[in-house]
Amino acid sequence: MLHFYILLPFLAALLIGMFAKKVNRIHTGWLVLPIPVVLFIIFCLKLPVLAEGKIVQSTADWIPSLDIQLSFYLDGLSMLFSLLITGIGSLVVLYSIFYLSRKEQLTHFYVYLLLFMGSMLGVVLSDNVFVLYTFWEFTSISSFLLIGFWFYRDRSTYGAQKSMLVTVFGGLSMLGALILLSITAETNSIRMMIANRSDILESDLFIPILILLLLGAFTKSAQFPFHSWLPDAMEAPTPVSAYLHSATMVKAGLYLVARFSLIFSGTDTFFIIVSGIGLITLCLGSFLASRQTDLKGILAYSTISQLGMIMAMLGFGTGTAILAAIFHIFNHATFKGSLFMIAGIVDHETGTRDIRRLGGLYTFMPISATLAFIGAFSMAGVPLPIFNGFLSKEMFFDSSLKLEQTAGLAGTFAEWIPILAVVGSIFTFVYSMYLVFGTFLGKQNTDQLEKKPHEAPIGMLLSPIVLIVFVVVVGLLPNLINEPLLAPATAAVTGDLPHIHLAFWHSLNTPFYMSLTVVGIGTLLAFTLKKWQPLYNRIPGKFSSDHWYQTIVNGLLRSSKSITEFYMTGSLRLYFSIILVFLVVSTSIFMYFTEGFTISVDDLAPITWPEVLVGFVMAVAAIATIWMNQRIAAIIVIGVVGYGLSLLFVFFRAPDLALTQLIVETITVALFLLCFAHLPKLKTSDKAISEKLIDFIIAVSTGALLTIVAIASHSSKSFESIAKYFVDNSYKLGGGDNIVNVILVDFRGLDTLFEIAVLGLAALGIFAMIKYRDKGDMNQ
Amino acid sequence: MMSNFVFLPIFIPLFVGAILVFLNKKHQLTMKISYLTVFLSLGVSIYLSYYVFKNNPLILETGAWKAPYGIILVADKLSVIMILSVNVIALAAVIFAASSVNSKMVQHYFYPLFFLLIAGVSGAFLTGDLFNLFVFFEVLLMASYGLIIIGGSKVQFRESVKYILLNLFSSILFVTTVAFLYSVTGTVNMAQLGERVAEVEQQGILTGIAILLFVVFATKGALFPLYFWLPKSYIVPSPVVSALFGALLTKVGVYSMLRVYTLIFSHKLELTHTFFIWVATITMLIGVIGALSTSNVKLIIAYNIMPAIGFMLLGIGTFSAESLAGTIYYLVHDMAIKAALFFLAGLLVWHAGTSNLNKMGGFIKTSPLLGWMFFIAALVLAGIPPFSGFIGKYLLLRGAFDEEHYIAAGIGLLSSLLILFSVLRIFIGAFWGEVKEEPKEKVRSSGLAASGLLIAISILLGVGAEWFYPYIQSAADSLIDPQIYIDFVLKE
Amino acid sequence: MEIVMSILAGTLFAAGVYLLLQKQLLKIVLGTALLSHGAHLFILTMGKLNRGAPPILEKGIKIYTDPLPQALILTSIVISFGVTSFLLVLAYRTYQSNKTDMMDQLRGTDDE
Repeated sequence: MLHFYILLPFLAALLIGMFAKKVNRIHTGWLVLPIPVVLFIIFCLKLPVLAEGKIVQSTADWIPSLDIQLSFYLDGLSMLFSLLITGIGSLVVLYSIFYLSRKEQLTHFYVYLLLFMGSMLGVVLSDNVFVLYTFWEFTSISSFLLIGFWFYRDRSTYGAQKSMLVTVFGGLSMLGALILLSITAETNSIRMMIANRSDILESDLFIPILILLLLGAFTKSAQFPFHSWLPDAMEAPTPVSAYLHSATMVKAGLYLVARFSLIFSGTDTFFIIVSGIGLITLCLGSFLASRQTDLKGILAYSTISQLGMIMAMLGFGTGTAILAAIFHIFNHATFKGSLFMIAGIVDHETGTRDIRRLGGLYTFMPISATLAFIGAFSMAGVPLPIFNGFLSKEMFFDSSLKLEQTAGLAGTFAEWIPILAVVGSIFTFVYSMYLVFGTFLGKQNTDQLEKKPHEAPIGMLLSPIVLIVFVVVVGLLPNLINEPLLAPATAAVTGDLPHIHLAFWHSLNTPFYMSLTVVGIGTLLAFTLKKWQPLYNRIPGKFSSDHWYQTIVNGLLRSSKSITEFYMTGSLRLYFSIILVFLVVSTSIFMYFTEGFTISVDDLAPITWPEVLVGFVMAVAAIATIWMNQRIAAIIVIGVVGYGLSLLFVFFRAPDLALTQLIVETITVALFLLCFAHLPKLKTSDKAISEKLIDFIIAVSTGALLTIVAIASHSSKSFESIAKYFVDNSYKLGGGDNIVNVILVDFRGLDTLFEIAVLGLAALGIFAMIKYRDKGDMNQ
Repeated sequence: MMSNFVFLPIFIPLFVGAILVFLNKKHQLTMKISYLTVFLSLGVSIYLSYYVFKNNPLILETGAWKAPYGIILVADKLSVIMILSVNVIALAAVIFAASSVNSKMVQHYFYPLFFLLIAGVSGAFLTGDLFNLFVFFEVLLMASYGLIIIGGSKVQFRESVKYILLNLFSSILFVTTVAFLYSVTGTVNMAQLGERVAEVEQQGILTGIAILLFVVFATKGALFPLYFWLPKSYIVPSPVVSALFGALLTKVGVYSMLRVYTLIFSHKLELTHTFFIWVATITMLIGVIGALSTSNVKLIIAYNIMPAIGFMLLGIGTFSAESLAGTIYYLVHDMAIKAALFFLAGLLVWHAGTSNLNKMGGFIKTSPLLGWMFFIAALVLAGIPPFSGFIGKYLLLRGAFDEEHYIAAGIGLLSSLLILFSVLRIFIGAFWGEVKEEPKEKVRSSGLAASGLLIAISILLGVGAEWFYPYIQSAADSLIDPQIYIDFVLKE
Repeated sequence: MEIVMSILAGTLFAAGVYLLLQKQLLKIVLGTALLSHGAHLFILTMGKLNRGAPPILEKGIKIYTDPLPQALILTSIVISFGVTSFLLVLAYRTYQSNKTDMMDQLRGTDDE
């Protein structure tokens, strides 16, 4: 059954793509809305099954011979994600109905969105790694299309290309890791890999696999240093930002790390890399968020930072940490999703997202403002029981204090973690306040705004309201989702079912003090923001991740151009030289290493002087051709070679050959004469001595190589030639005395048929060239 | 009786091509005959493939002379797969030609040359004799010489001279090397060559000869550093010719390598095949760098030929049943998608009136179908699942990783990313963005139909891989054990 | 004798290659002609020289020269002839349209 649920959005995409235009009267979004809603309900109905500790699975064939099967399974972790994908998906579609006007290319939008939805479901439900990879790349593709939705804008296409390149880079690394995993564990199923994890842990390839896999996760989840695609992705319409780039797609990397934790977690390498990158991202993201002036920009960096926080917790690996991570995945989706939607509302109703031009909007949009405040305070971790964000943040602090690593590098690192956690959270607090105070309180600048601000229509407010309700309810009654949802999800990651009771108040313990510190210092920094904000400008732009991206991409394009122009000169001489040098060098090296050269003087024909003489004359003539600058002289000399060869054929008992050579040579000489008459005179070569020397060396070495190979070939005759058959049977079976003729016409007649075809083709080409002389291009 | 069928894929185009020479002034009639011919030929190939896979390979001993004395045509699993692919491409080309080949080109013998090209390529895929392979090479080369100059523009002549001279040299080298091989082994029949080379374990000069042969095929097949003639010469003729060149000509080189280095020269693997892997790796990288270096849409596609060939050679060098299956799968996929991309590039250039990407923009509004086809084609080329490129790439990478060629596999992954980038640039540059200049003409629908057919096949090869993969793996299995072929041909 | 002929053929090849690297198109074509001659001589030499009678059956003669290389050379001569003719006409037309026959002026820029 599961594969039908994944198939459904794809089918819907196809149908919407084909038929939506015909249903003109209603907003396409209404046609799309049932899909995620239905799926959400279906998944909810499966919750009890999971609560019993069972899982749901289904398999369908795709490529059985390669063991790439559509096998899906639904456990706690995939359930959490599926609910987010479908639940937030429903809310986003509802929101988009009011956000996107009918003038936009709605069909395209919803098709891309549905493609994404199906792919994302595919990612979290796949058991087969290569099917997971397929859906993973599809999320990159649908994200590309959605970011570039307003494709006539340069910034949109830039953002789309950047997201595609960065995530596909990660995707391909991940593919490498998955193939290696598949080879090492001898299976394509994740569950089987988990069962065989000792094979993986003991393999020499463990660290490369881990790094490649993490590259996939880090790029998708915008971790340092791959984070800069996310702010540029904000060019997408806001429903997309709320859906993909905060609640679902960017969490795919977290999903990957979580899913594979049962294999990799517990090792020091995993801990250091994952937590390390996570914490760096947390701090960097939150620090840079307060620098932004675009509402969505702040939210983008905020997302980067929050994802870092979750990634860090996944790195910690303890039961508490994982539960906290899972919890925060849920919470973050609720408050961030709603904040994005509010930002969209502000944009929609005022015409701008620039925080410097906004302010004091509370009076005009009280509902939005309240929602934003709740969401932001939850994100900041304000210690009040209505904020779910505070609960998960406390757990974050708590788990940072209870790390299991004590020895070595990991242990030293572990001691710094709580400090980094607090620092990151302080800045989180700062930007959260910055966001809501800057937009909704403070001075009003309404006369500078394009539109007269007013509250959003209820349709647009519905989705954020729902999400904020979740924020508050889960804040007050967290255990409502603990047992049915969070615990099974944690169990899927750690292997053990946690029995932790979530509560607001645990006593005046260290995590609480940490929270108080955050609020204290955070408030201070937030209210003095204007004073120290200029500090940001002191940071050299050179270090920004976007700058690195641009340097790499532009550098790539520029160096490609110069490398290619270096060797693709259009000069025939260069091309020939390289080919010849390659030929001589590689063949010689191989001959050397295989001791290919042999020379045997046993089976040689005796040297007869007439033949040598003719040969000598031919050689001289050949070399003379090089210096002949009179056209007639050149032809004579080449004729000497040709006729000399004919003579050699006579000497070497090949009468037919001699005749043919004679005829062909004569015609060729005639043709040369004809051509020479119409072409310019021959000139002396005006090449530099060094060039001539190079030509000479190449020429001589090529000739020498072939001579050597010829001699060696002649000296290592190992078998009786099949020619004996021709001699024996030419008359008996072929009916002819002239063996060569019989070969040509009978034994190897096919060759002759096609040699005639070649002649015919040549004639055709020549005829066309001469008869149909045309001025200019015919390629129209 | 059945063995005579083997000659049909060569004979039909040969015969029709010869007839069409006399009909070069009758455009409509020529087109009708061409359509009929490609359908007939396609039908024959399908039947032939069905027969060979169901029963056993077919041999035609021309003139009823037994192998190895006479020339034989061998339709084994690999050959029929290739023949089938050639005929599909031929069909697509004829469809495309319907709107892109004008009467002047027909007068210049486009269709006869086209059919002779098909005949030559088919012959190369079916022959079991090394010298005969040379002859078929010459047939297809000569046909290509004729095709490349149709149109008679300055640029065409200029580039064709280089094209012809370089191929002429490699042909001369080919025939000389066959002679050397004959001297040592006493035969030119491929099966017997395989048998005899194996008997002496490829000692002595034989490996040197193998490398000479490699240079010949590598020049034809566009491997580094022998491909410099290719990009510019492939883009100067009409798009349908470019597509034929890109889809067929280089593949003959790859096929020859596949055949020769599994059947005959597979006894010094650590030397020869490691060398192949290095050449393949460098080609994968430098080739795609070429694709990134230019803003000429057609040139971008032409440069993309090289990384693909690099991938295929990687599979040959790795020399495992899995990697060879990857090479074959990739061969078939690449024939389809390269032809499609050359078609699309040609359509785009006609639509835009220029091949300079920097002068294009916003065409998704004026030709959405073309744009989306380009997009899908880019994904297929880069190896994004679930399209055909992924299956081939997966098998090749897996084979490489399995045999611990980590660097090569890594470069393969990197190359895939850059390939995607190079073609994505076309999509973003030409179809997204603002319209910079108004399009010059509407996109020709038969062109779109031809491209659509090939893209549909690519999708089918990916999504429906289960229908194709077992056959291809079966073909690879018979390659990895040359004794099968040898026994079949010589014991007959 | 085979060694001597191999050296001769190699010389023809070398001269041909040298011409191939020249600037003037006709010299290049001359070079290809030399290359073909060299190749044909190589093929003949590979079949052993002067071992028996010419390959025309006659009563009483048992040993003949190897006929297969001769047949191969014949095929190759014809094919080379075809290509050379085509090449010469092409050289003529190229000169006509590009107004030069010097290869270094025929490099081509990155045109459209």
